Amino acid sequence: MLDATQASKNVASVRDLKVHFQSKRGVVHAVDGVSFDIRDGETLGLVGETGCGKSVTGRSFLRLLPVPPGILAGGVVSFRPHGPCAVCEGAGCADCTNTGRRASGDQPIDLLSISSENMRRIRGDRIAMIFQDPGKALNPTLTIGAQMSEVFLQHRSAELLERASLPPDTSGAVRRFAAQEPRFGDGLILKFPPKRGQRAKLQVALNQMVTEALAETQVPNPVKLMDRFPHELSGGMRQRVMIAQALACNPDLLIADEPTTALDVTVEARILELIRALQQRRKTSVLYISHDLSLVRRICDRVAVMYAGRIVEIGTTEDVFANPRHPYTRGLMAAVPTAGTARGKLAAIRGTVPELVDPPSACRFAGRCPYETAACRRNDPSLLPVAGDHSVACFIDHPTGSQVAPSFERVTE
Amino acid sequence: MNASPKQETAPSEVLLSISDVQKYYPIREGALQRVAGHVRAVDGVSFDIRRGETVGLVGESGCGKTTLGRVVSGLTDATGGAVHYNLDGTLSQIDHLQDRQARQFRRNCQMVFQDSFASLNPRHLVIDIVGRPLRVYKEVSSGDLVERVVELLEQVGLGRQHLYRYPHQFSGGQRQRISIARALALNPEIIVLDEPTSALDVSVQAQILNLLNDLQAERNLAYLFVTHDLSVVRHMADRLVVMYLGKVCEAGETQSIFDAPHHPYTRALMAAKPDLDDDRTGEQVKGLDGIVPDPARPPQGCRFHTRCEMATPVCGWEVDDVVRWLEDEPGMFEHLSGVERQSEFNAELAFDSEEAAAKLSMAIRSESVPAAMKSALKRLNLKGHKVDIEFEAVDEVQLTARDGGRLASCVLDPAHVAEKSQ
Amino acid sequence: MSEITDSNFDKTAVRDTAFRVRMRRFFGVLQRLTSNPTTVVGLVLIALMLAMAIFAPWITEANTPDAYQMPRDWGAVRKPPGTPGHWLGTTNEGGDVFYGVIWGSRTSLQLSLYVVGSTMVIGTIIGSVAGLVGGWVDEVLMRIVDVFLSIPELIFALAIAAVLGPSFTNIIIALAMVIWVKYARIMRAQVIQIKQNDYVDAARVIGDSKLNIYLKDILPNAVTPVTVQATLDMGNVVLIGATLSFIGLSEAGIAEWGVLVSEGQAGIASGRWWASTFPGLMIFLWALAFNLVGDGLRDALDPRIEGR
Repeated sequence: MLDATQASKNVASVRDLKVHFQSKRGVVHAVDGVSFDIRDGETLGLVGETGCGKSVTGRSFLRLLPVPPGILAGGVVSFRPHGPCAVCEGAGCADCTNTGRRASGDQPIDLLSISSENMRRIRGDRIAMIFQDPGKALNPTLTIGAQMSEVFLQHRSAELLERASLPPDTSGAVRRFAAQEPRFGDGLILKFPPKRGQRAKLQVALNQMVTEALAETQVPNPVKLMDRFPHELSGGMRQRVMIAQALACNPDLLIADEPTTALDVTVEARILELIRALQQRRKTSVLYISHDLSLVRRICDRVAVMYAGRIVEIGTTEDVFANPRHPYTRGLMAAVPTAGTARGKLAAIRGTVPELVDPPSACRFAGRCPYETAACRRNDPSLLPVAGDHSVACFIDHPTGSQVAPSFERVTE
Repeated sequence: MNASPKQETAPSEVLLSISDVQKYYPIREGALQRVAGHVRAVDGVSFDIRRGETVGLVGESGCGKTTLGRVVSGLTDATGGAVHYNLDGTLSQIDHLQDRQARQFRRNCQMVFQDSFASLNPRHLVIDIVGRPLRVYKEVSSGDLVERVVELLEQVGLGRQHLYRYPHQFSGGQRQRISIARALALNPEIIVLDEPTSALDVSVQAQILNLLNDLQAERNLAYLFVTHDLSVVRHMADRLVVMYLGKVCEAGETQSIFDAPHHPYTRALMAAKPDLDDDRTGEQVKGLDGIVPDPARPPQGCRFHTRCEMATPVCGWEVDDVVRWLEDEPGMFEHLSGVERQSEFNAELAFDSEEAAAKLSMAIRSESVPAAMKSALKRLNLKGHKVDIEFEAVDEVQLTARDGGRLASCVLDPAHVAEKSQ
Repeated sequence: MSEITDSNFDKTAVRDTAFRVRMRRFFGVLQRLTSNPTTVVGLVLIALMLAMAIFAPWITEANTPDAYQMPRDWGAVRKPPGTPGHWLGTTNEGGDVFYGVIWGSRTSLQLSLYVVGSTMVIGTIIGSVAGLVGGWVDEVLMRIVDVFLSIPELIFALAIAAVLGPSFTNIIIALAMVIWVKYARIMRAQVIQIKQNDYVDAARVIGDSKLNIYLKDILPNAVTPVTVQATLDMGNVVLIGATLSFIGLSEAGIAEWGVLVSEGQAGIASGRWWASTFPGLMIFLWALAFNLVGDGLRDALDPRIEGR
């Protein structure tokens, strides 16, 4: 679990993020004022049902939203790429090998406003993402080896050249090949013997790096895997490949968008173990997006519950699960069938998610909440702390004006 | 405790009897499309469904549960074995039924599908969709049709205002309700539900599950509930059938299975996704290594032995296991030039060099091979660049009856399985 | 029972009937169709030419005994456009070009309707059979289709027409024999794809007859690409037909645009452009109009946009 003493550094901070979508019915406020921090080395879970905006939030880190219907309507997503390790100042020591600490700057940048060129550099390198359907995220026409190679060629070409022990005066063509920036005529140059030899060395080094990355995700035979195509692999394997690809460059932040939803339960458990192990070893921060409460409970340090484009509750996993304060969170937990539930008596939340087109200023859960009061229909509650790290956006805990807070003991199913 | 006990009185009559059902799909190869083998999607499954009860059919992808659901509802014919339907007191095979009897079966056995969007014709209005069964069997005059449909819609929590709408105008949960209304139209005795809530949000799932339970109580419906979600099936099913690779590995009363599973696979399923109420922390999650074997060449003995942590020497170790293990060991598979099988258990592995063969014969005796597999080896001879192996031949592990109506196909003592606590 | 809030349904829904809802959907498609300017141009052109065809007898007096024969006025041979009584000029044999243009639209309409109508039916039936039955029936039928498809449309039609002999009816037959395969292919692909949908299984579980399932579930969902293709073909058939006529495989002297272009072609060198140009222009406009509408229809019927 999270070490409390290093809690002060955040690898990412979202402040008042607003993402809207243009649709026939109007402007849909998919994400409407979301704020949270992702601390260094922690796994933050983002939980919610369909349409709550969690996927959109995750994608806005990498600006992977289709911009014509999508509108970045405001907010700041500040990202602090890791600075050098505090112990050795970037020189390399036992503490920081294999973690993401590099000699890059320590200045936070706003991911929403940097240029697309810079964004491209960050994608895959400092922030990586893994998706729900590994079958769709992998290129079906390339072998696994070829796909993984791309990552290394794009982002770690310097290291690659070093590994291939190519002398510093290697011709530009080879360097450019390594960095995937070929110039006209390079293809021809690389065919000639001395260049060919160097290129072969490069290929060997590349294969080594790919194999190592794959081995880290515990695939049985990485060398053999490299020659396979995605469709030849099972879902679990594909997901491991995707994870290997994502972690290839030691990113500071990994965004996982429902990575195990398409997998069988037993495979899912293995993948979760893997993500947890890798995260702890490399001290990567993870934003884990899911709709599955039991899953989030098992691997996340802190959890944020989203509903209708807002965060309604956030806190450590223990706190939120042991003592859920928001009626939606409580409703959600009560709706999951557990051993103790009597048949036919699953607590269902009445009503449906409101349309997010020009939402009125009222609590979005009004109309579905068993504890509703008049204030709930007039004002929007803000996310305020309840106890320590635990915050809720609800008038029950933060009554406005002279409202008397109703006790939670009433009603529950 | 949980589920309100059902019918403690005399055991209800059997509605459907699934006996030794097999569904094989031929694999065709070559220009002449010769049959080269069979995918054994369902390989000998038997259980009964009684009036008013819910039988849960659980397993992961590829276990055959969906295929079995389709055979039970009559969408596909079984290639072996039979499904018997209780027709006026006698059990008759559903693929032998003619005319009036076939119609009676059809009316009494309905199905709800997983994908609520794909199971409703996008060009039909709700009145068309829900009214169709009534029209097909000419149950009502066209004047009464609308009223009957409205009645059905109200029973599933929809209303008159939904009659003249297209499926795409509804949410996933509402579409599933429409599906259920359609299934109820002819007052069936049993409904096969194929992952009805897998695609729905948790809160919507709760509504649908509550609805299904209410309907069951009102109409004394039987359900065959096919799902991969253990927590759902625990909530819904009276009895459980756990499938793996086309066969049943465990069957019995839901609660007692959850209390003490007899089969390691059931145990693995439960360990992979503990209850939300469980206070145990992250370390307790356990997955399964390996992948589901090819259903065209299922493992010998117990099909689960390739991934089982508690496998014993008599669980069916065979040549294929060695080959599979070879594939995963770097540096060995490339040197394998051929496998000459005398049987599933006895073969000669040919390598391209003597040292590769020697390497293999040493490796098999090493730690990297499961101990059970090593003990099952009857013979291991190194002959130049060939390695001759033979395992103890074992028969397919059968389902054995245990106490309290439980069935399980595992050679291990149930106490031993239960004792491997998390 | 659990409650559903109907935030997405308005209160007037209660007064709806099936008819009204279906009409609304149909008008939705129409509206999408007309929102595209090029499609509107095509629709207007089609409307005009349709009007020409329907009202032909009222626009110009029908020729006796056969309205489809070009009237021959030996006294007004080779007159240029603008001549009173012959506003678009006359042909070598004194045929009124204007007459030819108007009545030619009738022949074109007949040509396209007969050809597209018959091929749609034949192609749909064969394609459906292949898709539904599968197995060797499918193989055999599709190999036949492949043979037909391997020959270029024009050459094939040419060959058939040449064998059958020059006549308008034979052109229809020739074109029909060449084009039906397209529909068979489309229909088969659609049937195979739709067959896999759960709602077809649902209909089977209900116990509906196979024919009903085909008519109610498969066919209505399969018609979209067929409709689009049919619209495009209405235009293209006239184009190919005109080509065949131009070569001389049709009857001489009838009021058909291709024939007119052919007959007037000799005069172009001598500066008498009108006998070929006006019918030629009509061919172009007809094909263009149907192509524009066909494309617009394809977009309008796109299920991804439909109904959202």
